[in-house]
Amino acid sequence: MDLALNWYLSLSAVLFTIGVLGVLLRRNAIVIFLSIELMLNAVNLSLVAFSQAFGDVDGQILVFFVMSVAAAEAAVGLAIVIALFRNKLTVNVNEINLFRG
Amino acid sequence: MLEPFLFFLFAVLAVVGALGMLISRNPVQSALWMVMTLFAVACLYLTLNAQFIGVVQILVYAGAIMVLFLFVIMLLNLEATPRLGGLDWKKGVAFVLGVAVLAQLLVILSLRLNAAPTLLPAAEAADATSVENLGLALLTEHAFSLEIIGVLLLAATIGAVLLAKKRFV
Amino acid sequence: MLTDFLPLFIMVVLAAGLALTLLKLAEWLGPYRPRAVKSSPYESGMDPVGTARERYSVKFYLVAMIFIVFDVEIVFMYPWAVSFKTFLEGGGGLASLAIIGVFILILFVGLIYDIKKGGLDWD
Repeated sequence: MDLALNWYLSLSAVLFTIGVLGVLLRRNAIVIFLSIELMLNAVNLSLVAFSQAFGDVDGQILVFFVMSVAAAEAAVGLAIVIALFRNKLTVNVNEINLFRG
Repeated sequence: MLEPFLFFLFAVLAVVGALGMLISRNPVQSALWMVMTLFAVACLYLTLNAQFIGVVQILVYAGAIMVLFLFVIMLLNLEATPRLGGLDWKKGVAFVLGVAVLAQLLVILSLRLNAAPTLLPAAEAADATSVENLGLALLTEHAFSLEIIGVLLLAATIGAVLLAKKRFV
Repeated sequence: MLTDFLPLFIMVVLAAGLALTLLKLAEWLGPYRPRAVKSSPYESGMDPVGTARERYSVKFYLVAMIFIVFDVEIVFMYPWAVSFKTFLEGGGGLASLAIIGVFILILFVGLIYDIKKGGLDWD
């Protein structure tokens, strides 16, 4: 039994779905961020699987770019969460509704 | 025979970690479950013969990004949030949407990739995507993207320092 | 290929197994007679005040964030370092050095900004 590409892609789909559910179900801004990281990871997994399946190096380079975007996003996003917490004393996204006053 | 066993082992670990992240009430626990998922995915990269990516995954994700998350959780000193609660209609819609995404992905998978190739032989794939070839492609074909990533990281540094150092109240 | 990692895997299993066995063995063999005083955090010290979940300072976040940025920078430099010899042989050594040099320079600007803004000052 050989390892098929489909197995990795299915696992990636499952992880991505859990990430989507995390964003939709949880109201804690930090857990939402974690779910976004999980989705990025799921996509990375499928990129690496494709890259190894076709022996093409481009997929892995894209994974590096995704990782650095994730790092930048985590740095700035968490800084925004800190700033929001200083103003509103909560990280519950339901209670952060600046535009509705 | 080793590879399928390892794949299923780490796949189960990854999914368990992701579910733990989803249902933990305490954000610290969520972050620690996430570390487990990240480690499992790193091991999956090893089963794909992408050693460098696996090491980078542990270095950057598990080592740096998750530490940043834990620092912020402890900085804000968040208490455990209430349980997910009963299934009101919003949660129901969210759940249906999530399952729809999964179904869509799996249907696409079964439709388009029936002729999906098995992975290249391990040695061949490892040669094609060695760190050396990675460096060659990164600095020739993707050189401009590399500089753009540099600018993005610069923006992240400046933005984060600006936001975190600012006195708001 | 994957069997190259077998020694590492065995070592991880052995290390985790040893740690767990010793912990469980100590719990199983040692006497366990708790009293109110014995199970307090400091048996013959003052009673602790407040919660253990102290708030961390924002300084930790700033240092961790700057660490991430330069961590990612090193990740991009490593493949360059490995393939530099090939570049030299192909005559592209200087060009690759220039590309990675510009990359480092861009991030260096960020470091200068952090130092100027006091992002690295502890006090």
